[in-house]
Amino acid sequence: MMHIPPYLQPGDTIALVCPAGYMAPERAQTCIETLRCWGYTVQTGKTMNSHSENYFSGSDEERLADLQQALDDPAIKAILCGRGGYGLSRIIDRIDFSSFEKNPKWIIGFSDITILHAHIYTNYKTVSLHAPMAGAFNEGGADGVYIASLRAAMEGGKANYFCDEHPLNRTGRATGPLVGGNLSLLAHLCGTVSEVKTKGRILFLEDVGEYLYNVDRMLHQLKRNGRLEKLAGLVVGGFTEMKDTTRPFGQTVYEIIRDIVKEYDYPVCYGFPVSHGGDNYALKHGMEHTLHVGVEGVTLEE
Amino acid sequence: MKRKHFLSSLLTAGAAATLPALGSPTRQGMPGSKVVKPVPPRIPDYLSTGDTIGITCPAGFITLKEIEPAIQQIESWGFKTKIGNTVGKRDFSFGGTDVERAADLQQMIDDPSLKAILCARGGYGAVRIVDRLDLSGLSNYPKWVIGFSDITVLLCHIHRNLNMAGIHSKMCNSFPDDWSKAEPVQVESILSIRQALIGEAMQYPIVVNEKNKTGVAEGQLVGGNLKTLETLSGTRSDIDTVGKILFVEDTGEYLYSIDRMFWNLERTGKLGGLQGLIVGGFKIKPDDPGEEFGRTLYDIVLERVNAYKFPVVFDFPVGHQKNNYALKYGMSHRLSVTTDKVTLEDHI
Repeated sequence: MMHIPPYLQPGDTIALVCPAGYMAPERAQTCIETLRCWGYTVQTGKTMNSHSENYFSGSDEERLADLQQALDDPAIKAILCGRGGYGLSRIIDRIDFSSFEKNPKWIIGFSDITILHAHIYTNYKTVSLHAPMAGAFNEGGADGVYIASLRAAMEGGKANYFCDEHPLNRTGRATGPLVGGNLSLLAHLCGTVSEVKTKGRILFLEDVGEYLYNVDRMLHQLKRNGRLEKLAGLVVGGFTEMKDTTRPFGQTVYEIIRDIVKEYDYPVCYGFPVSHGGDNYALKHGMEHTLHVGVEGVTLEE
Repeated sequence: MKRKHFLSSLLTAGAAATLPALGSPTRQGMPGSKVVKPVPPRIPDYLSTGDTIGITCPAGFITLKEIEPAIQQIESWGFKTKIGNTVGKRDFSFGGTDVERAADLQQMIDDPSLKAILCARGGYGAVRIVDRLDLSGLSNYPKWVIGFSDITVLLCHIHRNLNMAGIHSKMCNSFPDDWSKAEPVQVESILSIRQALIGEAMQYPIVVNEKNKTGVAEGQLVGGNLKTLETLSGTRSDIDTVGKILFVEDTGEYLYSIDRMFWNLERTGKLGGLQGLIVGGFKIKPDDPGEEFGRTLYDIVLERVNAYKFPVVFDFPVGHQKNNYALKYGMSHRLSVTTDKVTLEDHI
């Protein structure tokens, strides 16, 4: 049985933290204002105002302490990550989840935050939110459907997403817990204690800036780990800014995925709005969903 | 010769009894775990004049013309070559389709007349065919599999599943067109393949790096391309590093990505039980502006191994570079690191 953190109520406190890459404080302003406008109290962690001069939003100890404090504080009902980048691998094994286990709260983010989603799903059976982060509120994002989906999700709205049909889709209906995230991170977690089991589940994948051959290699890694064979369904999101080698790979990223899963018979949809490209619906990671891939389009319902 | 055959058949029996369970790689090497002395590897016969080496393309494509310098050089060493039908085949970036590449390699694995299989080049593609291979031919007729980079997949897979040694070295695409104009280090790197094949003791020109951690290590040598090792994590080709000497090299990766890969090694229990660590060449992709990682390769490695006592050597001549000497993959080595000298000895 999965633990679902309490949905947010007006006046609740949301903590903003940066457990991975550095984020300029001004990039979080729109997010903070929007959350206040929605009626929440916002607490910004030290890593949101970091004086770090390197890649990270603070040393491992600082990032760990900030996240730990947010996890341990019973007044905080949700932890929204400022941005991803890279950094959770360095601290994940040092996080103490004992308070979180007693008082689960929403952990919100994507990309590098895939590590947190996977880790708490596997080890603490807790639902979390794979969703846009603080930076996505900028450039008009705060008024868009994706930030609206984040608000709806954390306030208890049930997902009911639609996306257009795609010529490579494999039709069918599937029900199961929704798990996944960034492909590079899911591959990176193979063989660790944070890895997610996928049997009977709906897996969603997205990635950014990878070489096509490397996407192929990572999918083979998942496949060779048995993570693709017994899925209930597969939701393929955006694979943005893909790169190719001098000698072209010869397939698009969706064709690569089609070929990797062609021996299975579960439904597959392509081009679902979960990505680094801005199209990024909030998804309750670990929550039971029904995926329907039809000739007229695709629905993903909680 | 007779004695060697006798020994290798004994080892075959021993190795078969201790094969790791396929599909369930053990998560060993956590600090405090008991170090079990590894079973000695199966060593294919070293080559003699007149022996035949097969050349195949399990990954990227290459033309026959491009491997001609390699063929000439290998024949000048007194070996024959047998060119696989994937040489000259092309399916976009691959040296033929998966089916064609697997069939060519399989046929060489099964061929009792071959004493070694030299991969023509790396690139990408070995992982797409590795699960199609039947290794029993290799078990029945042990032979050296030679290559690096993407071929790390085959070296790891064969070592993990058969406990058989291989050769991590340059491939056909690195043989100089004009031997007389090649740099000495390039010539030495190529000649080291021959040394490894005929069983001569290996010698490595290792420059002492002040960042090295001193000590002595003994164990089987495993490793290869770091990114490739990460993508094997959790699979039935994954390396077991407990009690071993690990070597790594890579090219074209960001520093943050190298850091993440070292964390993968740590989190999959591959650092805790090591006897020693050899860091080869890393061609690092420069940080994007505003994304400066702020740590060098040395910082990344030393930060990870700080808690461990095993010796660490940097700038070992292995990698995507001219000084890339042949390593006897899976065989027992002794690594000695002092402040003024580093040696890696096989034949121990």
